[in-house]
Amino acid sequence: MGKFILKRLGQMVLVLIAVSVLIFAMVRITPSDPVASMTNGKNVSEETKQELRAHYNLDKSYPEQYAIWITGVFQGEFGESFTYKQDVDFLIGERIGTTLTLVLMSGLLAILIAIPVGVISAVKMNTWLDKLLSTLTLIFVASPVFLTALVLMLVFALELKWFPAIYQGNSIKEMILPAIALAMNMVALTSRITRTTMIEQLNSDYIRTATAKGLPRSRVIVTYALKNALIPIITVTSVQIGTMLVGAVLVESVFAMGGLGDLLISGIKSADYPVVQGVTLLMVTIFLVINLLVDILYAVLDPRIRMK
Amino acid sequence: MISAFTGHSPLYRSKKKKNVGKLFTPGVTVAFSVLVLILLACIFAPVIAPYDPNAQDLTQCLAKPSADHLLGCDQNGRDIFSRILYGGRTALVSALLVVAFSMVVGIPLGLISGYKGGVIDTIIMRCCDVLLSFPSLLLAFILVAGLGRNTFNAVLALGIVYVPMLTRLTRSLTLVEKNKVYVSACVSLGYSDTRIIYRHILPNCISTILVQITLDIAYAILDLASLSFLGLGTQPPQADWGAMLDEGRAVLLMNPMLSLAPGLVIVIVVVALNIFSDGLHQYLDQSQTALPNIDKYEKKMNRKLAKEGGAVDG
Repeated sequence: MGKFILKRLGQMVLVLIAVSVLIFAMVRITPSDPVASMTNGKNVSEETKQELRAHYNLDKSYPEQYAIWITGVFQGEFGESFTYKQDVDFLIGERIGTTLTLVLMSGLLAILIAIPVGVISAVKMNTWLDKLLSTLTLIFVASPVFLTALVLMLVFALELKWFPAIYQGNSIKEMILPAIALAMNMVALTSRITRTTMIEQLNSDYIRTATAKGLPRSRVIVTYALKNALIPIITVTSVQIGTMLVGAVLVESVFAMGGLGDLLISGIKSADYPVVQGVTLLMVTIFLVINLLVDILYAVLDPRIRMK
Repeated sequence: MISAFTGHSPLYRSKKKKNVGKLFTPGVTVAFSVLVLILLACIFAPVIAPYDPNAQDLTQCLAKPSADHLLGCDQNGRDIFSRILYGGRTALVSALLVVAFSMVVGIPLGLISGYKGGVIDTIIMRCCDVLLSFPSLLLAFILVAGLGRNTFNAVLALGIVYVPMLTRLTRSLTLVEKNKVYVSACVSLGYSDTRIIYRHILPNCISTILVQITLDIAYAILDLASLSFLGLGTQPPQADWGAMLDEGRAVLLMNPMLSLAPGLVIVIVVVALNIFSDGLHQYLDQSQTALPNIDKYEKKMNRKLAKEGGAVDG
């Protein structure tokens, strides 16, 4: 087991190094002058421009710039933002709480809704209830997350006034609408996969045996079928985490939440390289770490995987 | 076996016809008609649209839906219905271009990677691994950050994002086909690798790829809308579904139509594409499993013939 984890950890570090090079290069594909965004387009003397370039190491060659950035990252320093004039790690630290709370809340919400919905659809296969739930999931798969967010905002915040329309970080109540908006997409995908795997499991021999032994139906469904259906469900959920991190960017934009997403988007719009690099690298790292944890969880759940 | 079979071709053909009919089940027919209708409406937008999509009529700012303006007007007095028709052109053409780009790059890479194996395969696959370690839209964000914010770059960025997934799919299909007898036959006939890959392996993989492509168009529409919504894709004043949703959120309470109407069109198109792709998948799955059953039909046919023969004899 330890060997398995070490191997995966090594692979992850290699991928992260490649990712960091790629991020660094992609931000700079087209040569643009970040000094313009630092000075907000004001006319400044050539001397000041030179000073600014020197201050942010922009006068150095690309390999040198990369080396400076990556050594900083290992020390927990992501560089200084061009526009905020503050350290990127400070800017991230201020905002990461909002984003992580949002993603965790909606992830939890999604699983709590999706698994029962999927199990019910599978057990009541081809009845009106199953068809209704399938139609609903199809609509939510097709609805872009920001549309769901806007509709929730319009109905529950602006018309009914049950929830505030803007997130200010004062109470958990403000987080409810954004969390639901972000969760719906994942609910749809996860419940679909739950339904398919549960139908497969419910048709297998061991279920017939369990039923023939006279076990109560609820026990057969939950402790027999669902337990075996969990692995595909976990796979889909873990892949969804990446989508949710990006979905959070969109939801944050709708509810003006001021999380990592807003920081990233404003960074992209103002060519703020350190901010874009830092936030992207952080998001990819979170995504990869979660995938690693899921891989380990698999190996714990299913000994066959460890042997490979 | 085949020559013996051609004698009984009518039965086989009638079976095949049944399969062809099955692609257009009621659900798929509705989905397909909706898609064609929306596509036609967008193509003939200059004829259908009652107004110029960028014509401002400041007396009609945020007008409610009426006979003059079917869906009302936006904050600049532009007709929302006309903008949806023209916006559809931007959204649908962009989505098709994204998928076309990913096909042109991804399919050859997957075929080569799967067929050649070795170092080339390792290099291509490691590159895919790195690209796939980004959540997909995040990669598009950062590409747009480097390339600049406009429709063309959003299409290019998403095209690149879609390549590794298609490469992986094509590669896995190629690996299965590679070990089949007909490939060995081609090799022993001395065909070039290029000919084997494109003339023999690709046609056998294309049906599964096609199903993925129809789904990818749906994803591309959603992803492009997300980019435009964040201001990273199509820029105003050009009409685009995602960009309209962005313009509409400032006036959500005053005229919700501005956001909801393009949103609804996106949902309809994506649902229709999903149903169509699902139908296509089931249809192609069927025709694939139908082929090995030829023996069964032959047996059945022989039995039938024997019966008829017996009847004539008796």
